[in-house]
Amino acid sequence: MTLNDIKLGCECRIVEVNLGGATGQRLMDMGFTPGTKVKIVRNAPLVDPVNLLLRGYHVSIRHNEAKGVEVEQL
Amino acid sequence: MKNRSSEVIVAVAGQPNSGKSTIFNMLTGARQHVANYPGITVEKRTGRYGYKEDTVTLVDLPGTYSLTSYSPEERIARDFLLHEKPIIILDIVDASNLERNLYLTFQLAEMGIPLVIALNMMDVAENRGFEIDKNKLSELLGVPVVPTVGSKGRGKKELKEAILNTYKSDHFQTDYGEACKGCGACLGMSREKGSFRVDYGEKLEPILSSFEKRLSDDPELSLRYPARWLSVKLMEGDSEAHRLVESLKRGE
Repeated sequence: MTLNDIKLGCECRIVEVNLGGATGQRLMDMGFTPGTKVKIVRNAPLVDPVNLLLRGYHVSIRHNEAKGVEVEQL
Repeated sequence: MKNRSSEVIVAVAGQPNSGKSTIFNMLTGARQHVANYPGITVEKRTGRYGYKEDTVTLVDLPGTYSLTSYSPEERIARDFLLHEKPIIILDIVDASNLERNLYLTFQLAEMGIPLVIALNMMDVAENRGFEIDKNKLSELLGVPVVPTVGSKGRGKKELKEAILNTYKSDHFQTDYGEACKGCGACLGMSREKGSFRVDYGEKLEPILSSFEKRLSDDPELSLRYPARWLSVKLMEGDSEAHRLVESLKRGE
């Protein structure tokens, strides 16, 4: 299951970041690490991006990037 | 103070949108462009301020989430810290987003350059109901922590004072700048004095310490770069760190 499969308003926990290169590194730098809780806050009207809440702050990422983050539903 | 003749260079580092340029302007009186979205400062800028008898040169670095070598901003910030050897890093931390910001703080601390932390946007943090024990934070990290509100000029004098106290501390009263020129031994002293080491756990530490040992055996390398920092970067597979080691090995 990836972050992209989580429904609006639901919470999940990161298992692994399966993105390489600069994008994967950037997400990890911003706190996307295994064990971190993430809440799906809202979706943009034109699909991308998706707004998330983790570690007490909001961040928006692309659905494509969300697909690269392995999570478990809480 | 023996090194009064040499310049006091302080690098202003921090994550994007943490208020680096606002603090830079507050301290230097400059009117550098500031906006409420990240990515404004793409190259480094320099300004000065006088405090008591000294002139301090501030270098405003681009905001980075970390110090890898993936993006141009990160490379600018990192190369400056590595090669220009500022004597202090002023780390601007967004108090309303403390956890994410501290990641960069740890990376900066690992470079072995003395830190002063400005806990910026304290008003925003307070409005959100955050209470931050700055004394505890300072004690845990072993560095001075000064609460600031850059947009209102709060904490200006305290910040200048903390910077002054840091370079006037015992550590800097050695022959820094003459005998030492920012060498590893000198930085090592500052580490012992109050700084901390990130413990990477029992799986990674043995690998790290073997790297560290091999790197410190090389006098050229250990003089130029903090061995611990370079070891961590090599372990991460950082391409730029590999290049540094290889170019030195080839005697460039």
